[in-house]
Amino acid sequence: MINHIEHPIIEIHDLTVSYDQSPVLWNVDLSLPSGKLIGILGPNGAGKSTLIKAIMGLVSPSGGYVKLFDKSLEEVRSRISYVPQRESVDWNFPASVLDVVLMGTYGKLGLFKRPGKKEKELAMECLEKVGMQGFAKRQISELSGGQQQRVFIGRSLAQNADLYLMDEPFAGVDMATETAIFELLKQMTAEGKTVVVVHHDIYSAVNYFDWFIMLNLHLVASGPKETVITEELLRKTYGGKLNLLTKVSDLIRQKEFNPLKN
Amino acid sequence: MMSFDQNAFLIIFTASMISISCGLLGVFMMLRKMSMTGDAISHAVLPGIVIGFFVSGSQRGLEVIIGAGILGILATLMIDWLRRKARVQLDASIGITFTLLFAIGIILINLLAYKVDLDQECVLYGEIAYLPIDLWITGGGQNMGPRIMYLALLNLILVGGFIYLFFKELTVTSFDENFSMVIGIPAGVINLGLMSMVSYTTVSSFEAVGAILVVALLVVPPATAFLWTKKLNQLIKITIGIGIGIAILGYYLAYFFDSSIAGMVVSVAGIVFLASALYKSKLFSNRFGTSTKQESFGN
Repeated sequence: MINHIEHPIIEIHDLTVSYDQSPVLWNVDLSLPSGKLIGILGPNGAGKSTLIKAIMGLVSPSGGYVKLFDKSLEEVRSRISYVPQRESVDWNFPASVLDVVLMGTYGKLGLFKRPGKKEKELAMECLEKVGMQGFAKRQISELSGGQQQRVFIGRSLAQNADLYLMDEPFAGVDMATETAIFELLKQMTAEGKTVVVVHHDIYSAVNYFDWFIMLNLHLVASGPKETVITEELLRKTYGGKLNLLTKVSDLIRQKEFNPLKN
Repeated sequence: MMSFDQNAFLIIFTASMISISCGLLGVFMMLRKMSMTGDAISHAVLPGIVIGFFVSGSQRGLEVIIGAGILGILATLMIDWLRRKARVQLDASIGITFTLLFAIGIILINLLAYKVDLDQECVLYGEIAYLPIDLWITGGGQNMGPRIMYLALLNLILVGGFIYLFFKELTVTSFDENFSMVIGIPAGVINLGLMSMVSYTTVSSFEAVGAILVVALLVVPPATAFLWTKKLNQLIKITIGIGIGIAILGYYLAYFFDSSIAGMVVSVAGIVFLASALYKSKLFSNRFGTSTKQESFGN
């Protein structure tokens, strides 16, 4: 079940990525609409992070290509923002919350220029959006996991992009923060921005996202929520994992009682 | 007993500049978890020094610095290649790279021994005490003062300039390499730039402090400063302060014990680090262990 669309914001053509000769993504072919909140679902090791990294040019594909805004990555770098996994950096680094958010402005600043008053104001605005304005001067080594995650989202907001790619931004975040951040992401898509999020929790995912990419090495599905959240496709995505299968049936049952179309 | 003459000043001034240059680079090496790569570079430049020496016929030639710079970058690339492509662990690939290049350097010294006035000891240990008699005499016979002092000054200006100009890039690539590549900052180029500066600094300093002690100056002052602060600006300032402090203290202790100046400077650095670590761990245990006792004293 793969919906292709006209004038996609991301177009992925026959993408294959392998680490040490063993493929982690096989022949992924999809196109994504703009202005949507898009979720990438799949079990561990399904290639979700790899897909994001391939889109951002951080891993080189062994086959296929990615086009963004119908252009190559190099031409549209400044329009794309990236939130890496929280564990990918050492939080003992000597920097304040504001320093890290300011890094989001570095791409547009260019060589040799230091962030000035304008950049600092933008960074403070972004911190306010993620509810961290009170922590601007705090050292990042003194933050909790959820606060670190919010700092990373704040940094990506400071990039002022049109397309946001976020790798597990809700890992280790409490429910209240998760809801608040999803509200923020929804607001951004309402302003015409596109947000692609790798997400691990199918339950909350069905409540939040408009469009789903389901991965399990192969692309299982890509399409609007109503057409792809079906028992068959979820089984195909999470297939083989017994305890997950029962969870998936639970989910389908819930879905029957509480139709998603409302 | 204590003396402060012109020679003492020149030696302390030069030693301070060398330890500041090393410390500034060392801060970023430490933040990138690459302190041991600095160690590898300082040894791997040996064949470059020998070849440069052989080509130019003097140890003052620009060829020596270029040769060492090329070897330093080669060592960095080799470590990176072994780690990424051959899937060797970082510590093992550092060990393989620098011992191999260093061994090649030793063989080259032996092979070219009759043509080159250079021995392992000079490269490994260096001697800053000879600084006041190793003068820079211009073509017209004008005495400009100690040659090594000028080398150290030029080195400090270039290292300082490099870090000032690329501060933003160095910081973001040290913190989050993937993110910096995504926003279009060439992390690989910045990294090679830093490694080139480390190679150059090593060569520029080896006559004064030698290839082994240069490693200590790259690693110890930043590591000590990191015990005292969690802010990058402060980290750099404290590193500079420690660099000057250990140069002064090291010189006078060496004078007092009639011992190697560079050896004493590094020993002092080690002691300052240990004292800081002990003090910090004591504070830590105070906060959790004996806090009630202190309160009862207050009453």
